[in-house]
Amino acid sequence: MRRLFMLSITSALMVLALPAVAFAQEGLSPTETVAVLDTMWVMLAFVLVLFMQAGFAMLEVGFSRMKNVGNVVAKILANMAIGAIVFWAIGFGIAFGAGNPFFGLEGWFLSGNIDAGTIPLSMLFIFQAAFAMVALAIVWGTMLERTKFSVYLIFAIIFVGIIYPMGAHWVWSDEGWIGALGKQDFAGSTVVHLSAAMAALAGTIIVGPRLGKFDDNGRPQLMPGHNMPLAVLGVLILWLGWQGFNPGSTLAATVDIADIALTTNLAAAAGIIGAMLITYFYKGFVDVGMAGNGAIAGLVAITATCAFVAPWAAVVIGLIAGVVMYATALLMDRIGIDDPVGAIAAHGMGGVWGTLSAGLFTTPALAEANGGLPGLFYGGGFTQLGVQAVSIAAVGGFVFFASLAVFGILKATIGIRVKPEHELNGLDISDHGGYGYSEGLVATDQPNGNGYGTSDRRETTGSTT
Amino acid sequence: MGLPIVEAAAHANHIVGVYPDRVEIRSGWQGRSIEDIHLRDIATVATRGLINCTLTITTNKGRNIELKNMALPEARQVKNTIETQKQRAGLYE
Repeated sequence: MRRLFMLSITSALMVLALPAVAFAQEGLSPTETVAVLDTMWVMLAFVLVLFMQAGFAMLEVGFSRMKNVGNVVAKILANMAIGAIVFWAIGFGIAFGAGNPFFGLEGWFLSGNIDAGTIPLSMLFIFQAAFAMVALAIVWGTMLERTKFSVYLIFAIIFVGIIYPMGAHWVWSDEGWIGALGKQDFAGSTVVHLSAAMAALAGTIIVGPRLGKFDDNGRPQLMPGHNMPLAVLGVLILWLGWQGFNPGSTLAATVDIADIALTTNLAAAAGIIGAMLITYFYKGFVDVGMAGNGAIAGLVAITATCAFVAPWAAVVIGLIAGVVMYATALLMDRIGIDDPVGAIAAHGMGGVWGTLSAGLFTTPALAEANGGLPGLFYGGGFTQLGVQAVSIAAVGGFVFFASLAVFGILKATIGIRVKPEHELNGLDISDHGGYGYSEGLVATDQPNGNGYGTSDRRETTGSTT
Repeated sequence: MGLPIVEAAAHANHIVGVYPDRVEIRSGWQGRSIEDIHLRDIATVATRGLINCTLTITTNKGRNIELKNMALPEARQVKNTIETQKQRAGLYE
């Protein structure tokens, strides 16, 4: 017992003493100390952002049917693999390399002289690569349960290698044409979330809805996910990851991260309340999935403005994001777009609203500190709002049409959708050779899917002329 | 019955499957409508478009069945399989 006590005390003293030893080294200048602290902070933020992949995995698993969960997690692994390699080889150079206002022309394989501030270039890269992976995860979430795995892989290379980095270059690069206008997008409402949602919208339009999602009159049918606790766990992990996504975008260990974390969390909380209220008034009950998407919508919306707005504005932004998200989800169903996880609503409209809200709520002090102009409600006029709107149209439009072209080419060449039999049997067994869950668990629908093959036979078929 | 030789999805829950002797078209929510067309009754099969391709099956009675929003490779595969099966059965004679 005494030995154990001594061991514990010694361990605790060593843990406490090590940082002191590190900083006591001679020759570590104040500048180097700042660099070490900044790097440590961004490393921590990177870990949090990378952990968001687990959040996307759980969210998508929860919202998908049991027969497709293995496909979902396989997709997340492929996302991380392709995201890291392709962004290292091409994407980072296009996004942050010197070139012209539209794309970078250096920095391939992390070469060249890209300015990373006080942190090492490798640290900046790995942090930004995690952002690219987040964007890709959003795209793929909307195309669940009916898309060929090869399509995911091919689109991932093009999206992370070219499409996403170009939007990032326009807004975040020193010479980007939208950044030069004074655009405010602190952590990527437009660059990451809106871009991803626009690509997702293009993909969802091209691939079409899941079999059985819409009835004979085009009315949307409920295709619930199989595990709501997992979906909510995904939301909670994403929320946790956002503590690195927004505060980490300072790329430096400054005291500003406290205020950014405050606005981030207030917006998420308000997003839940907004979504809960609107679903209660519209449906008469609180929709758990939509409440989770409300949190995500609030987080997405505050991503642009987290360093620009006061706490009360963060609450307003989050609350409206939750309401707008639900309205958009209803609209998607109404116009025949099948988005199983609600990513287009949460990330797309959350991104649009968040980007616009910077033009409304940015305080003069924070605009002076972080760039751009004050918002409309602080006497800044319509200038900043206009810049924000232009950025939405430019980045959103570019990503949508570029993605539409890529998905269109894929559909015309290799096909984009799995065979109906595979879709009905589930992608786990048809694409990955085994079920995601153990065989002892009961599937949420029949193995041959949605009652096909047990129907009455009638001699009327769809479109005949 | 067996499995179809080829199978593809089209617009609004439509699934077209080609069997050795017939084309089966499932439609409606949960595949409630199933129509079989014997290969002998099919006059022509045509594809139109590139991205959202339309497969048109014309019967000997002059009826056109249009399957929209198909991927071009799948529509071509269905068309080629129907024609191959008809040739194999000697139905062009």
